[in-house]
Amino acid sequence: MFKKFSLEEISSQNQVKASVQRRIRQSIQEEYPGLETVLEDLLPKKSPLIVVKCPNHLTLVVVNNVPLFFCIRDGPYMPTLRLLHQYPSIMKRFQVDRGAIKFVFSGANIMCPGLTSPGGVLDEEVEAERPVAIYAEGKQHALAIGFTKMSAKDIKSINKGIGVDNMHYLNDGLWKMERLD
Amino acid sequence: MAEKLEPAKVLYCGVCSLPAEYCEFGPDFARCKPWLIDNAPDLYPDLLKEANEKGVDNVSDKLQSVGISGADGAPSSSQTGGTSKKEEVKRLPGGKVKKKERQEVIIEKVVRNKRKCITIVKGLELLVRIKLSDASKKLGKKFATGASVVKGPTEKEQIDVQGDIIYDIVEFITDTWPDVPERSIFFIEDGKKVQAG
Repeated sequence: MFKKFSLEEISSQNQVKASVQRRIRQSIQEEYPGLETVLEDLLPKKSPLIVVKCPNHLTLVVVNNVPLFFCIRDGPYMPTLRLLHQYPSIMKRFQVDRGAIKFVFSGANIMCPGLTSPGGVLDEEVEAERPVAIYAEGKQHALAIGFTKMSAKDIKSINKGIGVDNMHYLNDGLWKMERLD
Repeated sequence: MAEKLEPAKVLYCGVCSLPAEYCEFGPDFARCKPWLIDNAPDLYPDLLKEANEKGVDNVSDKLQSVGISGADGAPSSSQTGGTSKKEEVKRLPGGKVKKKERQEVIIEKVVRNKRKCITIVKGLELLVRIKLSDASKKLGKKFATGASVVKGPTEKEQIDVQGDIIYDIVEFITDTWPDVPERSIFFIEDGKKVQAG
């Protein structure tokens, strides 16, 4: 999704007012209860929170010139991979097998067989339309962040088609942009 | 009260900026290898074995000449006007290797009427991060002549500039975009005579 992403792709950049900031904090808190303790440091109340709008209904939440979260339309806020690497426990994990790694690296969506094959791991509790972290067989760090299209149970039973949409992956445009300035 | 989550420290490769274990999927594993040998030897123990097998002297010489900045690993760096193609092996899903898009700018002169001719610039978008329409506007403004983006016989697009400006255009390109090396600009003289710059 972030295949091409650069400073030219930003359509607008606004500092949000406190009420909007509070709302964003609240939705992030609901989505990722694991972040509660560190949320104060990541999204301080006093620090200006900048919301960056990009084409394709994409919104970035930026603090101190560092993008931290993004969301599509009004969907759930998802952390950037850099943030996820620092706090890996906040998101549910799916694991793909080794063969799928290079496809994910070019932005491909994750197909069910990649998750149900021997190298893959599915977290049974995950429902459809939820953000998940994608890990790779044999690797310690998250490979991508995805949005489930089917629940884990469906992925296992149907085993056909796209299981998880690949929203943000390593070395994509958003990863390359560590800071926005 | 829940304990505060501590951010995990991740070792990112200095060359490709990915977590060190993903370097093999990164754009240029060969460049990452020397960095990995120094900073993360435990992740790729085979690399260490390789390095030792080839003989320490040979490898250290090669490493020094290659450097992290990724020059072409060709042994003879002394030749003039060498074609310095950036080696990016793009693998399409399915394992096929995309034909290497040579990073060079080709300038061609085509005669339109007896007096008039046009200069064609191909391959500019590979070397410079710019939209071709912006580049053509700049060219047109600079040389006070018409310039347009045209779709070539292949999928590639090219810029057509009216008039004969092949010599001036080389200067213009290197001035406006200093990261374009003169060596990667070629003229076409009756069948690709590799006249560098």
